[in-house]
Amino acid sequence: MTVYLIASLNFFIVQVLPGDPTRVLLPRGSSNVTQGGSDLRAQLIRQWGLDQPITTRYVLYFANLLQGNLGTTITYQKGGFPVAGVIAPRLSTTLVLVGLATAATMWLGLVLGRISGWRRGRPIDVSITMTTLIGYSMPSFWVSLMLIYTLAFVLPIFPPFGVQSRNASTFDPLTRVLDQLYHYFLPVVTFVITNVAWFSLTLRNSLTDTLPEDYMLTAMAKGLTEREQLRKHAMPNARLPVLTASALYFGWVVSGAIVIEEVFNIPGLGQLTWDATRVRDFPLLSGVFLVATLGVVVANAIADLLYMYLDPRVREA
Amino acid sequence: MVSRAGQRATVFRERLRLDWRRFEKFMQLLLHNKLAVAGLVIILVFIFISVAAPLLVGSYPSQFDRTTSLQPPSTAHPFGTDWQGFDVLKLVVYGGRVSLLIGFVSSAVAMLLGTTVGLVAGYYGRVTDQLLSRATDFFLVIPWLPFVLILVAILTSSLATIIFAIAIVSWPTTARIIRSQVLTVKERQFIERARAVGSGNGFILRKHILPNVMPLVWAEAVLTISSAVFTEAFLSFFGLGWKGPGAVESWGQIANEAYTNLALLRGLWLYFAPPGIFITLVVLGFAMLGYGLEEVLNPALKRRR
Repeated sequence: MTVYLIASLNFFIVQVLPGDPTRVLLPRGSSNVTQGGSDLRAQLIRQWGLDQPITTRYVLYFANLLQGNLGTTITYQKGGFPVAGVIAPRLSTTLVLVGLATAATMWLGLVLGRISGWRRGRPIDVSITMTTLIGYSMPSFWVSLMLIYTLAFVLPIFPPFGVQSRNASTFDPLTRVLDQLYHYFLPVVTFVITNVAWFSLTLRNSLTDTLPEDYMLTAMAKGLTEREQLRKHAMPNARLPVLTASALYFGWVVSGAIVIEEVFNIPGLGQLTWDATRVRDFPLLSGVFLVATLGVVVANAIADLLYMYLDPRVREA
Repeated sequence: MVSRAGQRATVFRERLRLDWRRFEKFMQLLLHNKLAVAGLVIILVFIFISVAAPLLVGSYPSQFDRTTSLQPPSTAHPFGTDWQGFDVLKLVVYGGRVSLLIGFVSSAVAMLLGTTVGLVAGYYGRVTDQLLSRATDFFLVIPWLPFVLILVAILTSSLATIIFAIAIVSWPTTARIIRSQVLTVKERQFIERARAVGSGNGFILRKHILPNVMPLVWAEAVLTISSAVFTEAFLSFFGLGWKGPGAVESWGQIANEAYTNLALLRGLWLYFAPPGIFITLVVLGFAMLGYGLEEVLNPALKRRR
């Protein structure tokens, strides 16, 4: 259902909103250029089926979509490439980046959130909250470029861009993996800085809701150590709202990945978005948008399943 | 006997006095909230810089102010010059105008949308609520950056389309929060009383429910300005910022030009760093004020203390 809505919205944006895709391809002021007796523009319109009534185009769009046909690119590598074919090989690169980055962000966010939730109002909580909030307010394009400038340019510790060294094909498998991790370090750090607040702040707030509960008092009265109180009694309850909040986080992952991939020159979907935006390649842009939104929907479905696993009340029901 | 007009004037004055007293009380609470005060200070500083830009750095650079492009910092140009030979400091000071303008206006549009959807969904319930809530959730999960990019790319980037696109991605959070607040407000007794004396739905919504959710709308408006400024920065960084005659470059655009002209590789970090720092500060300022307002205004959050 959601998938259908997304696809429809995608169709609506590209096909129905004002704005003429033929204008992008033809040079400015050439709308009436004729070539071999036929109007070039009219020819394009016919070729793309833009003269068909909207209902016909809508049906055609879905018929194509179900066959995995996302249309052809206008400009990418001189045009004519199927969009799906351009997107597919880049998907895995993006998934690796997003996977690594999300794991790191989640881990650090949960650690920081636990500390600041437990010590609410103390100096350590204030400094964690402020630092994560500042990181959250920084645009990722700026963070990544400043990191490259300081840690790859002024102090050349890390490689400035790419996913592997130029002579990576000569490495043995283990070295190659390490080499890739080394290249992914700065992108992941950027991601952690700009997104860790999602997890640390939600966990902090949900811990604050949990700690005054009666069962926490009981746990303390039983003589459990602070560590045990936290791990066995507070966390299982406090982490549920974090999972709910992650629904919004996934929408941000996509945005973060797009920027980071472009800046670090990682050949994934994000870089594709940047290129497609620059040259106004609408079929490609809408294809990327569709895939990204589908990714978010799938991620949300996984989060829902995880919720069921973690919350016995839902599991039983 | 007092004339009718006089009576109304007295009533009006009395209401103004009560409003003022409420405002004073609210300000007292707000000024005790360190987060909100810090945010407010940052915002006021940037509003001052933007408004007083002509006094601080002179008029906005025009074609006649061109000098050598990409100069390193000097006394004449503390941050150096950009790719067209304009003074970076001037551009950065004026850039706040665009960011703040777009932030304020798109937040206002988003509030109008979000509040209306939230009110209608929460008040009428049933199928209306189902449909509107579904739509809200749908827009909430869409990844905002590709969505905004595709919208502006297709509608061509003008001030109006940028504001429209940012408003479209910003309204759902507000709608959700307002809806849940309306759900609790409409169960209160004074709503039933209003209905008993014959008030219509429109009247109840306007006169009884809206005033009760308005404080939340203000807090949301401030938070949305923060995210709108942030979104605009990304949009501009992707080359879809405000262009055309009379356009002023936003911070995101300056960062984009610094990036595409390899400012950092040339070691011109003062060309690239300031716009980013200013974006961060403004976003942070509005976020802090927003969270502070929420803490002061939302009784549910206050209980946590």
